[in-house]
Amino acid sequence: MADIISIARGVFENKKADILIGYTKATSEGRTRPVIVRSADEVQNLVLNSSCLNNLATYLTRKENKGKKVAIVAKGCDIKSIVQLIAESQIKRENVYIIGVKCNGVKRSFEGEDSKKIAEKCLNCNVRTPHLADETVDMSDEGLTGKDEKAELIEKLDSMSAEERFAFWEEQFEKCIKCYACRQACPLCYCERCIADKSMPRWVESSPTKRGNFAWNIVRAFHLSGRCIGCNECERVCPAGIPLSLLNRKMVMVAKSEFGYESGMSADAPTLIGTYDLKDKEEFIK
Amino acid sequence: MMRIGVFVCHCGENIGKTVDCPTVAKEAIKLPNVVYSIDYKYMCSDPGQNMIKQAIAEHKLNAVVVASCSPHMHEKTFRKACAQAGLNPYMCEIANVREHCSWVHDNVEEATKKAVDLIRMTVERIKFNFPLSEIKVPITKKALVIGGGISGIQAALDIAGAGFKVILVEKEPSIGGHMSQLSETFPTLDCSQCILTPRMVEAYQHPNIKLYTYSEVDNVDGFIGNFKVTIRKKARSVKENLCTGCGLCVQKCPIKKAPSEFDEGLANRPAIYVPFPQAVPNIPVIDRTVCTFFKTGKCQMCKKVCGRDAIDFEQKDELITEDVGAIIVATGYKLYKIDKKSKDAAVKGYGEYGYGKYKDVIDGLQFERIASASGPTAGEILRPSDKKQPKKVVFIQCVGSRDPSKGFEYCSKICCMYTAKHAMLYKHKVHDGEAYVFYMDIRAGGKGYDEFVRRAIEEDHVKYIRGRVSRVYEKKGKYIVKGEDTISGVPVEIEADMVVLATAIVAQPEAAKLAQTLGIPYDKYGFYAEVHPKLRPVESSSGGIFLAGACQSPRDIPESVAMASAAASKALVLFGNEMLEREPIVAKVNENTCVGCFYCKKVCAYNAIELKEIKDKKGNLVKVVASVNTGLCQGCGTCNATCPSKSIELIGFNDEQIFYQIKAL
Repeated sequence: MADIISIARGVFENKKADILIGYTKATSEGRTRPVIVRSADEVQNLVLNSSCLNNLATYLTRKENKGKKVAIVAKGCDIKSIVQLIAESQIKRENVYIIGVKCNGVKRSFEGEDSKKIAEKCLNCNVRTPHLADETVDMSDEGLTGKDEKAELIEKLDSMSAEERFAFWEEQFEKCIKCYACRQACPLCYCERCIADKSMPRWVESSPTKRGNFAWNIVRAFHLSGRCIGCNECERVCPAGIPLSLLNRKMVMVAKSEFGYESGMSADAPTLIGTYDLKDKEEFIK
Repeated sequence: MMRIGVFVCHCGENIGKTVDCPTVAKEAIKLPNVVYSIDYKYMCSDPGQNMIKQAIAEHKLNAVVVASCSPHMHEKTFRKACAQAGLNPYMCEIANVREHCSWVHDNVEEATKKAVDLIRMTVERIKFNFPLSEIKVPITKKALVIGGGISGIQAALDIAGAGFKVILVEKEPSIGGHMSQLSETFPTLDCSQCILTPRMVEAYQHPNIKLYTYSEVDNVDGFIGNFKVTIRKKARSVKENLCTGCGLCVQKCPIKKAPSEFDEGLANRPAIYVPFPQAVPNIPVIDRTVCTFFKTGKCQMCKKVCGRDAIDFEQKDELITEDVGAIIVATGYKLYKIDKKSKDAAVKGYGEYGYGKYKDVIDGLQFERIASASGPTAGEILRPSDKKQPKKVVFIQCVGSRDPSKGFEYCSKICCMYTAKHAMLYKHKVHDGEAYVFYMDIRAGGKGYDEFVRRAIEEDHVKYIRGRVSRVYEKKGKYIVKGEDTISGVPVEIEADMVVLATAIVAQPEAAKLAQTLGIPYDKYGFYAEVHPKLRPVESSSGGIFLAGACQSPRDIPESVAMASAAASKALVLFGNEMLEREPIVAKVNENTCVGCFYCKKVCAYNAIELKEIKDKKGNLVKVVASVNTGLCQGCGTCNATCPSKSIELIGFNDEQIFYQIKAL
């Protein structure tokens, strides 16, 4: 099968797209970074390996890329966010050329112990073969392994009392410095004016206080419920190490168990919010 | 500078008993920007309203907070009073100190404190109020009536009589509905068709009524005053403009044995047929499911005999769009068919009564046809199996009704009366016959109704037995009805020649689908829901859509007709205005911050969100954003709650108003 460089060259030679969003080597050893390639002459620096952690779909909604035909290198999980962006009218399918990556999992982190482990989201992946792509490319299997530690934590949180759980999150959110890296990395946080930036009135306090931190993190979790596709970029980029996936994964689990809903699988499927069914469970209404 | 007046109502003892109103008024005056406050026994009374009007003038108030009952009750009253005093009505807000306070608490001290809190919140909120004016929408002064039974006919005639155009849509080939099938009507025993058919003809000939029979409503778009309706005119296979209704095709059709819908399967009709002699319009229809030509491609007998060349085998369904301002839904009912297993698992059916198994176990509408002069027996009471006169007839009431364990919880309302009528008609025609009625209770509320039932019992000697029937089975040509007489506490066994079941009135099978098309609510049985059971019984919760007759719940003829006239008058109230005035409490999109995710559109129950293209000066598309159709928006606020970037607000409940209201707590 063709490698990423020859595929990218083909994209430009066959005029499939104006720009291509892919990965290239970063300055530090073992890291990659996103890169925007504008012509066939620039494709030789593209890479594709298990260090390609970023979800590049977040660049699709950037103002500078709007109206352009964009080719994008996307793993299955990233494609889920592209599907969601199409469903939410943010991009048009015909304006995006998807180079789907057949992926066996990426590293949990660029460095340290975690760089030897497989990312937790990859353990239960159902889109190793891309479910929406214009062409596909193989990524080498580096045989990464690891345990799903977060799943155990979610179970532990579920068994806690409401007070204990509150105390847990109080401690976690205490760390938040309101840098909004979670928002910037999230492909589905595409609002041009985030509610956190609304000042008249200011619903979410801007200073990193306990109340403001709670408001921000809970608002974000709610805004992603029924939408989050679990790429886990928010947690990966959080400089304070807040285990945000515990919130988002729990929401995904509830959407699945209560409504049989999974986001990012089909752009034509009805969305979770906005769909009412007489058979919807109502047990959560107390 | 805001000058706010606070008016505290005692509501007699409703508020005054639990909330210390004079203290509340004294506390209220201390609030910033409050320049006047007073308490009064009944603020909604004339003197109370005058106090507000005077205070507005004397104290130059530019905002009014009334601490009283729910805004549902008197918001309009107080806003009107303010408007009369020259204040914009939307500069008046209610602090609900009754439902939200006095009614739910008993500690006077704490309730008083809470009342002050509620007022403080409203005072903070009203500082962000701004004058609003009613939204004006034009009205199409034409009505759509769905269903051509007696309710639909009455509603159409009333509206047409007032000088407005009406579109009357009926799904069957003729108007008339169930009433055309009835023999006599209770409690006066006048002939149903004799009183109905003149109305049918009047509707047909009325210059203001456009009739679409054999047609259904496919789609409804738009909103009150401005609906766009798509009507599917089903292929009749007969050209209406050419047919003279001579009936030759019906006579010559070789298919003779299709069960007649009008005679409830007790008689047969041809493949091309007019449902009944007085049908309106008197134009036949081809039942394509039984017609030989449609099945085999051969025959065309009707085409051959038609002197007007009116038969059109190629005819297709036709879609017609009509603009209307009001819709009256009068789709009627169906009888619960007890032989078929219901889709609703909770309805277990009544197989033990042998309906569908024994030919002489029939339902109420079938008995109507047997008793009717236009029916298969020309009005003679003969049982279906052997056409012999039954000498003993058992009528069983509440088959499916008032039976939560096997049927429906509700009472079908008309069965007590029509069963008494059936028994009476039978006795009038078979003098030596015996009529038995098994009943649970006799519900005969209505003008002349109880007298009618007494007449059946006392003058016509119908034997009423209070109790349920457990089983009906055949034995030597007789039907053994086993039941219990609960008054004397003994089991009863009657050898009957015929059994008539008063089966439950149920909603039309397609009722829920139509409700979804119209966007009106319905209950778990498929009956359409009114806005308020007492004060707004003929209005659906969708503006401009009204209800008439048994589609709302089981109704008899007088009630259906009354409801139809009421619904018609509601439509006429609407048509009496040149422009429709709507509350300005509608959603508004901030086009600068909207990113067009359209979750607002997905959650909107009223289809009020539209797409709007934003273009630059050169005409290039910049983005597509959400936009609110203010005619459709009901101001429910669901879009506000859903919008992640808070780019859609409800005018009158905007972010600042709510934020500062909460903050004041």
